[in-house]
Amino acid sequence: MREKFSQDKLDRCISCGYCLPACPTYKLTGNEESSPRGRITLMRAVQNEKLPAIDLLQESSFCLGCRACEPVCPAGVEYGVLLEEMREITWQGKNRPIIVRALFLIVDSKIGIWALGLFSPIAKRRKAQDDLHLMYGCFERRLFPAVSRAVAKIAPEVSCSSDQGCCGALHAHNGELEKGKVMARALGEKLPGTILTTAGGCAAHLSSELGPERVQEFSQWWVKRELTLQPIIESGRKIRVGLQDSCHLRNGMGVFAEPRQILKELGEYVEVPGSADCCGAAGTYALLQKKNSRKVVSQKILDIKELNLDYIVSVNPGCTRQLASELKRARVKTRVIHLAQLVAMSQQTTK
Amino acid sequence: MSAADLATKLSNLVGSDVVRSDAVSLQAYSRDATPMFEGLPEVIVAPRNTAEVSKIVKFAHDTNTPIIARGAGSNLCAATVPLNGGIVMSMTKMNQVLEVSKSEMIAVVQPGVTNIDLDELVAKEGLRFIPDPGSRNVSTIGGNVATSAGGLRGLKYGTTRNYILGLEAVLGNGEIIRTGGRLVKDVAGYDVTRLLVGSEGTLAIFTEITVALAPRPEASKYGVAYFDDLASAAGAVEKIISSGILPATLEFLDNTCVVAVEDFAHLGLDTNAGALLLFGDDGDAVSIEQSVNKMAEIAKTASGARGVTLAADIAAADALLYARRCSLPALARLSSMSILEDIAVPRKAMAEVVNRIQDIGKKYGLRIGTFGHAGDGNLHPTIVLDKDNKDEVRAAEAALAEIFALPREFGGSITGEHGVGSAKLPYLEDLIGSTNMQLQRSIKKVFDPAGILNPGRIGS
Repeated sequence: MREKFSQDKLDRCISCGYCLPACPTYKLTGNEESSPRGRITLMRAVQNEKLPAIDLLQESSFCLGCRACEPVCPAGVEYGVLLEEMREITWQGKNRPIIVRALFLIVDSKIGIWALGLFSPIAKRRKAQDDLHLMYGCFERRLFPAVSRAVAKIAPEVSCSSDQGCCGALHAHNGELEKGKVMARALGEKLPGTILTTAGGCAAHLSSELGPERVQEFSQWWVKRELTLQPIIESGRKIRVGLQDSCHLRNGMGVFAEPRQILKELGEYVEVPGSADCCGAAGTYALLQKKNSRKVVSQKILDIKELNLDYIVSVNPGCTRQLASELKRARVKTRVIHLAQLVAMSQQTTK
Repeated sequence: MSAADLATKLSNLVGSDVVRSDAVSLQAYSRDATPMFEGLPEVIVAPRNTAEVSKIVKFAHDTNTPIIARGAGSNLCAATVPLNGGIVMSMTKMNQVLEVSKSEMIAVVQPGVTNIDLDELVAKEGLRFIPDPGSRNVSTIGGNVATSAGGLRGLKYGTTRNYILGLEAVLGNGEIIRTGGRLVKDVAGYDVTRLLVGSEGTLAIFTEITVALAPRPEASKYGVAYFDDLASAAGAVEKIISSGILPATLEFLDNTCVVAVEDFAHLGLDTNAGALLLFGDDGDAVSIEQSVNKMAEIAKTASGARGVTLAADIAAADALLYARRCSLPALARLSSMSILEDIAVPRKAMAEVVNRIQDIGKKYGLRIGTFGHAGDGNLHPTIVLDKDNKDEVRAAEAALAEIFALPREFGGSITGEHGVGSAKLPYLEDLIGSTNMQLQRSIKKVFDPAGILNPGRIGS
């Protein structure tokens, strides 16, 4: 069990505060302790034994872990890693939320993973290229099986292997950082060559452990295929479509131009205000911090409604779930869809 | 009074929803952006309006409790670290722009409004808020006033002190005063407004600020020139201004800073050059075309010049300016601690001073990255060091003492725009003299007889 933070990562922060405007929880509260800079000050206090570690519990739970503070940080503070360490230090024993424990139980076993796919029509197992494997994802296979089917349909060269466990992103983000790393490496051995993933959160975690050359998120991979997509026509006109970035994909991997490039081919692309800001799904956050999660997403729902979009596209299953349920609650007609599914709806021709 | 009593009484006064005293909150407000300074407050209160500020200060006065007003906490001279405990008053809830008057070219704002929010708002009216400290994305107007914050436009446009027309403020006994107003001309009485600008929260707490705005320029143009060393860049700056040009921006960075900034911003800067000079101007399209081309020409032919490139468009220029603003935090990439200084010297001495700083670095075996506002002689030598290396820390202290001696030698100042705070107070009297220091102490007593407002800082 971890007791200390990586000192070199704490030292990077000079408390300049350039991260404050990027932080959703600082925006909600205006409180220093709910900002990246403030939380690092708290981590330091724990490191120097001025505060007991348990005092970090509330802020480690309130933080979305969206990492929006990272791209704006001139000092290059790896806040995402520090947050993972903070949760590893605090989310132990009875302080680990029951929901997280239950989720670990499911994805830690072969049976659990198998059960997630049970009666869920995911892409069929098949052998194609040896060095390109589709990752099903744990919760995507349960909640959105059509995503893997869409990829299988548009990309015959992709192999689909049923023997794959969880990538460990869930663990890394929820207080089991070391285990999360081990799981990522294990998945890397099971799926040789390039791992293709449709989940931004999984992509960023895998990539940090296996290296970016081994991991391709769907949009990154698609733009390299050099196929022309025909616009999708509905009700006699091009669809109006917006994007919700995946935080870890954007802030962790720097991938945000690619999905936009694809969507500009598929229809009339509309930039949703704050598309780069967290939707409040934030992995388990929407389950653990329901009220705050809703506060974070509320303005976004109004903006999407205002824009009269046909589709809002997601590149991560958590965001899909969050937007779908919140749009439904607000009775907004805009449909939420994964990028791969939209691509599968279009005609593709060679460039 | 015990900390718990303090919190209870303040809660009774202004409501428990804006008062916090738990260990976590207190810790979070125990520092600002200055390294090596830390102190725990006893309570944090975030008032919503002037009346609440007045009540809180009156209470602090009556109970002899230290009180520090805090904006974004981006101060760089430990002026907002609660070294004496007491109350930290966070002004971030008072963040409304109360009025923008296009015809008068003024805005009336609460102290917690950030620089960028104000500037973006008045931009809609074709106006601009001139002061632009490096921290403008986060720092507040209240903080600007408290330190007379400068920025990248000082040479042509001046700093915060040139743009504050009027203030509403709470004195050390809780009384509310109004100084100045909306007028350009107004000499009724002592210029208390100007006295309060730069007073670092020691004389009064600002609750409403009337700022002068300027028309947004029609066009702007920027370029980058590279030199063999900082002194050559300083020489080019001297030549530019001597030629009769007064440009909006003349910023320079030495090689250490360029490398750090490029590592963050990836702009394709020449990391082999000894120094970079960012020059630019704003105004009407024709005249800035002339002035910027002339600057480019001078920079090209100056001694030690290595080449000049003009920014292709506004986006490229904005990226350059943004990268320059990020110099200080970007330097943090190089080591575990960076100690930043803020000396100002007459422009004609700048080349010699930057060489002397380099010599000091060599003498003590320290890495010093220097960047600054070359146009106004405001230099930010920054020592990057390993905070756990005791020898290096000692060497840095000795080097700093030598750097602080430079302004005296050349007729400069120990701080151009960051303020005195706790970090530079030990050097203040030496610079301004004992009579002036005594006057500052007397002034402090008039505004704050109980000595509760940011105690331990200027004039306390």
